[in-house]
Amino acid sequence: MSGRRVDAKVVLLGQEGVGKSSLVERCAHGRFRAGPYQNTIGAAFVAKVMTVGDQTVTLGIWDTAGSERYEAMSRIYYRGARAAVVCYDLTDSGSFQRAKFWVNELQNCEEGCRIYLCGTKSDLLEEDRRKRGVDFHDVQDYADEIKADLFETSSKTGQSVDELFQKVAEDYVNFSAFQVMTEDKGVNLSQRNSPYFYSCCHH
Amino acid sequence: MNLKSERRGIHVDQSELLCKKGCGYYGNPAWQGFCSKCWREEYHKARQKQIQEDWELAERLQREEEEAYASSQSTQGAQSLTFSKFEEKKTNEKTRKVTTVKKFFTASSRAGAKKALAGKLKEIQEAKAPSPSIHRQASIETDRVSKEFIEFIRTYQKPGQDIYKQCKLFLDTMSHKRELSIEEQSECAQDFYQNVADRLQTRWKVPPEKVEKAMDEVEKYIMTRQYKYVFCPETTDDEKKDLAVQKRIRALHWVTPQMLCVPVSEEIPEVSDMVVKAITDIIEMDSKRVPRDKLACITKCSKHIFNAIKITKNEPASADDFLPTLIYIVLKGNPPRLQSNIQYITRFCNPSRLMTGEDGYYFTNLCCAVAFIEKLDAQSLNLSQEDFDRFMTGQTSPKKQESDSFSPDVCLGVKQMCKSLDLLSQLNERQERIVSEAKKLEKDLIDWTDGITKEVEDIVEKYPLEIKAKSQALAAIDSENVENDKLPPPLQPQVYAG
Repeated sequence: MSGRRVDAKVVLLGQEGVGKSSLVERCAHGRFRAGPYQNTIGAAFVAKVMTVGDQTVTLGIWDTAGSERYEAMSRIYYRGARAAVVCYDLTDSGSFQRAKFWVNELQNCEEGCRIYLCGTKSDLLEEDRRKRGVDFHDVQDYADEIKADLFETSSKTGQSVDELFQKVAEDYVNFSAFQVMTEDKGVNLSQRNSPYFYSCCHH
Repeated sequence: MNLKSERRGIHVDQSELLCKKGCGYYGNPAWQGFCSKCWREEYHKARQKQIQEDWELAERLQREEEEAYASSQSTQGAQSLTFSKFEEKKTNEKTRKVTTVKKFFTASSRAGAKKALAGKLKEIQEAKAPSPSIHRQASIETDRVSKEFIEFIRTYQKPGQDIYKQCKLFLDTMSHKRELSIEEQSECAQDFYQNVADRLQTRWKVPPEKVEKAMDEVEKYIMTRQYKYVFCPETTDDEKKDLAVQKRIRALHWVTPQMLCVPVSEEIPEVSDMVVKAITDIIEMDSKRVPRDKLACITKCSKHIFNAIKITKNEPASADDFLPTLIYIVLKGNPPRLQSNIQYITRFCNPSRLMTGEDGYYFTNLCCAVAFIEKLDAQSLNLSQEDFDRFMTGQTSPKKQESDSFSPDVCLGVKQMCKSLDLLSQLNERQERIVSEAKKLEKDLIDWTDGITKEVEDIVEKYPLEIKAKSQALAAIDSENVENDKLPPPLQPQVYAG
């Protein structure tokens, strides 16, 4: 798995303990951290092959350290990311405020990066509605405002997890198809101007 | 070229063509004006002298190094040794160049004014070429890589030929661009990767997996050749940054795993084994020449870290566990030329690998770790500013305060001894406490008796005990009776005749 080609970089951002790693685990192996693990050593990076129509896309999913002490470094993580899944805990309104922080960062520093809002631990709400700490409609409004997609997921039951990454892959294919068209021109131009191709004629 | 030979043609006269040693044979500028036989002798002598000098220099440096490290703290151990070697090698290289230049200077001045120009020219040529032993060593590896590359490229047939031609062209172009800034050179390399990959894909219709493989080989081939010119180039301040990071990490030697919240327990032998392996891998990175090989070292190091976390926590590691551990490994390992390596990889690695793949993930984490170490302050270790300052200035060490945090390189016996010592000191403390308590008790008892005595005395003093004689008291019953005298005398018994 380690050597395989990856098409798009997808970063997971969010406060410590909102369940980013569980999301990776669920996405990669279709299971929740509740049993013995034999064949994985870490769930920090996963290359996930997705099928979109007749194409296959490999998403490189990057888990990041959510602790505030590494906040200053988060920019290094999401540099060059095509998509960012910003996670918050549905039962914890504080985690949603932190999510807004990352959304701001992304909007300021990483324009080419699509944002997906991801509420986690929805299974806890199934048990007890009163546990909800973040209102769905508020988030929906916020998502519209920042032009992001919203998913409420559960890594325990698997709810909406596949849908989330499927959407990421689809957007990547549709978005990058458009980009390749525009980029191609750029490559041709630079090829002609390329300093190394040019100068070889002079020597 | 033309200009130079013309000038030389004017100045040369017959005597200059002969061997400088005067053996009567013709000399050759390539042999510094000696004939082949005399040159061999001279060169041999100079070489011997140089080897001797280098050896002495190396020995002296080694001595100095040892002295310096004997006096400095022993905790740095293995990693500082690696770095000292690198420093020594660097100094060595520089000195060697300098001596070569000096030698030519003195030689030409002795030979007279006429030859000065020719001498200088040669000296410049000579100074440009690296010293022979290093050159030879490098070329062995370069040759090996070239052979492997050619063999690999054969399997690609026609596109392979094309790639080979492109690579040759690129290397040739780059050799004329050494004076460009490193960023521009990096751009050239990135353009080159892009162009070759595009060419393979669009012109030769090579399948993507094969393009990937070919690109790896292309990178290996060109970067092995470019390495010595573009790794830590003198035009940048990479070296200065390296030393700054090095110094910073040394100053942070006191940071414990607990402070970083590292979820790795080095008490477990298997885990400490993994930690050692991870450190070895990250240090090894500096010895590789190809960016991809350097990345592979980082990846290997990261896998060992994941294993260490998994064994300790008994569940797969997440990024929240991984980054602190990587920071800890970097702090412990203090890998040589960290900044240069990161810069070199960023500038000259094939970007598709760097930005998205698994290697890229670990590399990004390493960059984060270095950035964290550079910015690290009291807050990021959950320490008070005063504690942090005291640790930084070396006034105290946190290890003395927390007796349970041992550095893992301490062997089991020492750990046991430290624990026993700890117990003993605790025991001693308790003993002292008991003795002092006993003394207090004794004093209390004495005080108590004294107190009681005093109290009794006080009371006795306050209420003196006057015991009047009983008889006196009885006699006194009517002593105050004034009219006693007036009483008739007591009746006397009288005897009547009876």
